[in-house]
Amino acid sequence: MSRQLIFVLIALSVAIPLVIKIGLPNEVTSEVMQVYEEIDRLGPGSVVLVSFDHEASSLPEVKPMAQAILRHCFAKRLKVIGLALLAEGTAIGEQILRETADEYEAEYGRDYVFLGFRPQFQAAILGMGEDIRRVFPEDYSNTPLIRLPIMRKVRDYRDIALIISVTDGDMPVWWVDYAVSRYHKGLAVAATAVMATSFYPFLSSGQMIGLLGGLKGAAEYEMLIEKPGMGQKGMDAQSVCHLVIILLVIAGNVGYFMRK
Amino acid sequence: MARRIPIIVCFVFGLFMLVQFFVPHGLSGAAYETVLDWMQIVFVFTLLVGAVSYAKLNAKKVSRKETGWGYNTIGLVGLGVMVILGLWKGTGEGTPFLWMFNNVQAPMQSTMFALLAFFVASAAYRGFRARSWEAGVLLVVAIVVMLGRVPLGNLISQWIPDAANWILRTPSMAAKRGIYIGIGLGTISTSLRIILGIERTYLGGK
Repeated sequence: MSRQLIFVLIALSVAIPLVIKIGLPNEVTSEVMQVYEEIDRLGPGSVVLVSFDHEASSLPEVKPMAQAILRHCFAKRLKVIGLALLAEGTAIGEQILRETADEYEAEYGRDYVFLGFRPQFQAAILGMGEDIRRVFPEDYSNTPLIRLPIMRKVRDYRDIALIISVTDGDMPVWWVDYAVSRYHKGLAVAATAVMATSFYPFLSSGQMIGLLGGLKGAAEYEMLIEKPGMGQKGMDAQSVCHLVIILLVIAGNVGYFMRK
Repeated sequence: MARRIPIIVCFVFGLFMLVQFFVPHGLSGAAYETVLDWMQIVFVFTLLVGAVSYAKLNAKKVSRKETGWGYNTIGLVGLGVMVILGLWKGTGEGTPFLWMFNNVQAPMQSTMFALLAFFVASAAYRGFRARSWEAGVLLVVAIVVMLGRVPLGNLISQWIPDAANWILRTPSMAAKRGIYIGIGLGTISTSLRIILGIERTYLGGK
């Protein structure tokens, strides 16, 4: 089979299910349920820190996860502090946070804030454990944090109910090393599917309270909050694409054994 | 002297960060916060070194018209344009810098990432063969996990997602845990070697 034909098959297997809905049944896994339950048990006014630890390349996979979690947070009237520990996550994180906050008419500075980016993530994570205002004296739009009502009662991790890392890399491991181990903070992770398997040891040890893995994680979370989004829309495409790849692998092996 | 001073600085600060963890005194905390501030300041300068190094390397290739010098030119232009836009109007909402990021950089990077699906499919078709017993096991496991991680697996049989989850939560996790323990031990030993001045390759030179 020619490479061009394989490329066409993959393109069609992704494109067609995005246009024509199949509606395959999905199931919520325990690690996604744990994140949902952790956020759901928080009372209104609790502060959640969402760190956009990803690059622009993984946007189609991380955005649905971030949106689903943020929708849940804003629906529960939680206060959200957004930040980025990778430079490219800054603009993306700010946009996702603002768009989702607008859906729930959340007010900037009172219900949510975006702190922007700080380089050297180890120092930033550790520094926030001592004093967030020392690491981020101003927010993304250069407003001193002291002027923002949401930040008046937040000094360090003790004032934060939960940390959520939206990531396409191994940043959650650093959060575990420096925020969970040292400051005993709960950490939930929303990671791209390719990275999700790396975090199972931390789930098992209780160092992460839950995990959303890629588009499937987003789809499951959307089911839980009953707000369908890109995650559920993408599940059909991902299913068909996986099926096509499996069929290609089987066809390749059949050809191999026939030649043998 | 050029090597001795960095080794002494490394020893002092390495030891301080180690000891500080166990000293909950206010003075120790204040010093610790100052060190954290300095870590960020130093890191920003390393970013500058990286950008200058990138510009010099690419400018050299362009001036010598080496193979692919056109790409180096695009890289240099991209770097220059983004720096100018950032300095001119800032990087916040509604700025040309953010427009370029949203409409050029982000779509290009997403496209590159998405292309992986095509190459993975092509490579899987050509290279994923059950040439041995071990390769056969890998093949079956991959198929189960691929099916189990999408709703199609649920549709075929509940056994498939259950098996996929078991694979991820048991054998895969055991392997990962072993790797992480190895990395942890390696990190401790390398850190001690650096703090004690035994490991000096980070200083460069011979």
